[in-house]
Amino acid sequence: MKNDERMTKPEGRATSAHAASSLRLRHSFVIRLSSFVILLASALAADKANPSAAEPKPPCCRALPPGKPLTDKSLYQLDSTWTSDVGREVQLGVLRGRVQVVAMFFAQCEYACPIIVENMRAIESALPAALRDRVDFLLVSFDTERDTPAELRAYRKKAKLAPAHWTLLRGGADDVRELAALLGINYQRDARGQFAHSNVITVLNAEGEVAFQQAGLNKDSKETIAAVEKALAPEKTSLSP
Amino acid sequence: MRLARHLGQAVAALLFAATASADLVPIPAGFYRPLFRGETDAKEISVRAFALAATPVTNGEFLEFVRANPKWQRSHMKRLFADDGYLKHWAGDTELGERCDPSQPVTWVSWFAAKSYAGWKGGRLPTTAEWEMVASAGFTKADGAKEPEFVKAVARWYATPAPETLPAAGSGRANIFGVRDLHGLVWEWTSDFNSAIVTGDARGDTGLERQLFCGAGSLGAKDTANFPAFMRFGFRSSLKAAYTVHNLGFRIAKDE
Repeated sequence: MKNDERMTKPEGRATSAHAASSLRLRHSFVIRLSSFVILLASALAADKANPSAAEPKPPCCRALPPGKPLTDKSLYQLDSTWTSDVGREVQLGVLRGRVQVVAMFFAQCEYACPIIVENMRAIESALPAALRDRVDFLLVSFDTERDTPAELRAYRKKAKLAPAHWTLLRGGADDVRELAALLGINYQRDARGQFAHSNVITVLNAEGEVAFQQAGLNKDSKETIAAVEKALAPEKTSLSP
Repeated sequence: MRLARHLGQAVAALLFAATASADLVPIPAGFYRPLFRGETDAKEISVRAFALAATPVTNGEFLEFVRANPKWQRSHMKRLFADDGYLKHWAGDTELGERCDPSQPVTWVSWFAAKSYAGWKGGRLPTTAEWEMVASAGFTKADGAKEPEFVKAVARWYATPAPETLPAAGSGRANIFGVRDLHGLVWEWTSDFNSAIVTGDARGDTGLERQLFCGAGSLGAKDTANFPAFMRFGFRSSLKAAYTVHNLGFRIAKDE
């Protein structure tokens, strides 16, 4: 079944990137317009903490541009470059400004990853409707060899992950190792090319700090949902140093 | 077969030793036998030829690094990349003080700091497979497990508490590759220290979990000489990348 997906995967990445971004554009045109104004302002202010501020934002990004340096514990200090399933190259900092629910996975995972993704969707649907729109979901692949953007695109399609809220990323081996280390995720590739890995769902606050981690599969997500709500609630909680 | 391979490794090591530079020692391709593995995994992981520093990085060397890269100085350190123990035994950002000797291995460094130093030197951290392969070599035999004197020396260190004052890097006896202090001085970071799967893995299809929890017993019965490797495995799996520890340092590796 996976092979069928792969057979039909679109090869023209520019075309599908364009399609996805125009979709997104319609979805949040107003937000983008207003953030663009602020973005311009901050670019003019020559914000050193965010050198990429003037570059075009990828579809996954609706983050408000930062007006101040990243906190000491922000994952967005990483300067590694990642590729999304629509083929855009991004740094994690583009996710700044919105709460992210993060997990690591790989597309050919037979057992744990579908459950993790299912758990994340359960978190998404358990959130109060008013909050759901303000939370994003991020999946980063362990499989630096096989999970090409096209493969991730196929995965997104198969798992029906809404482009508006779900980001799928792949990266270089060292960068994946580093991100996993930061998330406290251990993993190892076995002889069949499968990955044994810890199952962790992480909530990042708007500043990219780890706000909460849920370990294990099919755990009660109450605490995770509460952590997401807390990260969304008062600005000052997520911005405290 | 195995004997022939070990003989090959030994000869290659001797050949390489003659041309070795003072610091980085060429390590010929070989094999690493992981302590734990999935049921479908190979018994041995092949390791490509690479170069490994003969000694761990010292306080003196690390001082040069932080002088050249202020963001890695103690007071500039971002908590994401090192906990608050980072270089705490030094007198200041760029001074070791009286209690630290430049020749001692640097400790109280996080994985990020170690990785950054290695990159600055044009190298990288060794992988666990590389590190363990070299660490399994004895003083005079490619397979240290077959050398009682080596086994005893290694076991002695793992049974002894860390001394108050660390000896200088390079004071240990060289193994057959010419690499020193892999045992007997400090624990060392590896690039993939977080590849050890001890808990939190729920994949039922490899039986990996079961092996992990039963592994210690069978290991003890079959291969007592490898108990130190088991300790290292446990130690690595307890680490987080930002951790700093009083007896945890690192050395650099390079691709051939």
